[in-house]
Amino acid sequence: MATLADSFLADLDELSDNDADLIEEDDVDAGNMEEDVDGDMADVETLNYDDLDCVSKLQKTQRYSDIMQKVEDALEKGSDISNQGLVLEDDPEYQLIVDCNALSVDIENEIIIIHNFIRDKYRLKFPELESLVHHPIDYARVVKKIGNEMDLTLVDLEGFLPSAIIMVVSVTASTTSGKPLPEEVLQKTIDACDRALALDAAKKKVLDFVESRMGYIAPNLSAIVGSAVAAKLMGTAGGLSALAKMPACNVQLLGAKKKNLAGFSTATSQFRVGYIEQTEVFQTTPPALRMRACRLLAAKSTLAARVDSTRGDPSGNTGRALREEICKKIEKWQEPPPAKQPKPLPVPDSEPKKKRGGRRLRKMKERYALTDMRKLANRMQFGVPEESSLGDGLGEGYGMLGQAGNGKLRVSVGQSKLAAKVAKKFKEKNYGSSGATSGLTSSLAFTPVQGIELTNPQAHAHQLGSGTQSTYFSETGTFSKIKPT
Amino acid sequence: MSYVLTTLTKKKEIDSIIRDTIDKVLVLRFGRASDPGCLHLDDLLSKSAREVSKFANIALVDIDSEDVQVYIKYFDISLIPSTIFFFNAHHMKMDSGTADHTKWIGAFHTKQDFIDVVEAIFRGAMKGKMIVNCPLPQERIPKYQLLYKDL
Repeated sequence: MATLADSFLADLDELSDNDADLIEEDDVDAGNMEEDVDGDMADVETLNYDDLDCVSKLQKTQRYSDIMQKVEDALEKGSDISNQGLVLEDDPEYQLIVDCNALSVDIENEIIIIHNFIRDKYRLKFPELESLVHHPIDYARVVKKIGNEMDLTLVDLEGFLPSAIIMVVSVTASTTSGKPLPEEVLQKTIDACDRALALDAAKKKVLDFVESRMGYIAPNLSAIVGSAVAAKLMGTAGGLSALAKMPACNVQLLGAKKKNLAGFSTATSQFRVGYIEQTEVFQTTPPALRMRACRLLAAKSTLAARVDSTRGDPSGNTGRALREEICKKIEKWQEPPPAKQPKPLPVPDSEPKKKRGGRRLRKMKERYALTDMRKLANRMQFGVPEESSLGDGLGEGYGMLGQAGNGKLRVSVGQSKLAAKVAKKFKEKNYGSSGATSGLTSSLAFTPVQGIELTNPQAHAHQLGSGTQSTYFSETGTFSKIKPT
Repeated sequence: MSYVLTTLTKKKEIDSIIRDTIDKVLVLRFGRASDPGCLHLDDLLSKSAREVSKFANIALVDIDSEDVQVYIKYFDISLIPSTIFFFNAHHMKMDSGTADHTKWIGAFHTKQDFIDVVEAIFRGAMKGKMIVNCPLPQERIPKYQLLYKDL
């Protein structure tokens, strides 16, 4: 389709152009505009700058005017209680409410489109305003108020915006790079603002209507969060059954504002709360508990919505009970913790001491262990008086130290068990890397019996050798008397 | 004075508390509620009552009641406050460097001193000793002069 291709091309052009070229672009596109009106309505928002009607079509549709008419009639009629016995879906009012929900979503989208339109037009005059005032309706109001005025001190923005933002706007306006708009562009912009405000008013009316009927449609949900918030939730979700199908975490986020003003602190912004923030229960909880309360509210209101979607409890008692439960839980959270009583001391020696083990402890104990020398000194030969330090049995006895048959007075410091382990490891590690060995030796040993052995059996043999050396029986001593029998 | 500690005025009460305290040190303070030295000690005792509650029981005995005079004569209590320790109905003695090992005379410097003394008595008693050594250093032990009658 030629027009579609053209429109996509124009999109691409537009993305790369800067603001100054916009006006020229409009004139070029004017020719394409008529075709585009007949063409696809889906990508309406990017193209048609000149005419508001091409951008915002909702108010012209039949559907819109029908529903608005019905809403106004119903609002005048007041609430209708007679048809409570009917199944919900057959009730014409319920159908109207479902339509209202869908319509409010549409209106919101429409407002966004118009907002884009206004913003694009007003960029020539005051480009920074868009980043300062985010909300579309507020933006529209401000644009309408300022109009073509260059000096913002003459414009009174009280009541439209919070004072901090008014101040920022005034300051930015004094240094803005914008120029006053030409008359027809200004007129179009003002028209668009009016349109946006009218749509906003219509949406409010629709929501009011839904809210007034809320007690009848979803009594349990309105018992927990209140009818206004319930209406908004239903509107955003797109119907009661859609709301009931949502998980509670999504319900919590319905209606959450996403934007954070750059330069303003994010520490004070309330995150991850949607319409639930406007409920009475939420407003009355202390700020520290608000996150928990929000989660709780979302969960219970989802339950209530599910009850309502199946018409399980038309009287609303479930909702009231759930609300009671929520309030009670929040109260319980606010209770101070029980006062701490000082603990009595434990009975002395009742808890066994934790004995530690490990290498470090063993090395510590080695310093106080019984050495071989001391062992020999403690033992005595049978029938042989021991030598003593002062002679004649006085002083410390020497026991087996230096006795005949031992051959040694001095006993060398025996290797401690730990050191033996370490020495063995060390030897095994070092075996292959000695520089003096010939190039033909290797760690592999070829024995005829077992084939290839990987570990060097010489290390093993060394151990055996030391094992047979007795510390008690002397190597050199012999039997003193051998009698042949 | 203390609402935490029981005050005993009758002989029967003292008997029953000595008999009934099993596997816990029983601390009996003999004194008057109005005496400042006793007040100081009572304050200390009431503050540490909960902390040692797992291995000690504390009670106050009023020496002004007639029922109790028997015990005063038996334990030879002349200076107040006097504290006597029992374990499983057995009288525990403590050697603190003073002349009288059978009782503790005076108050303690700190709560921790008192707890240390009770713990020493408990450990000794669990081992089966009848007399224990005082764990406190000499400067923490209140010194006094014994009054000897007719000497």
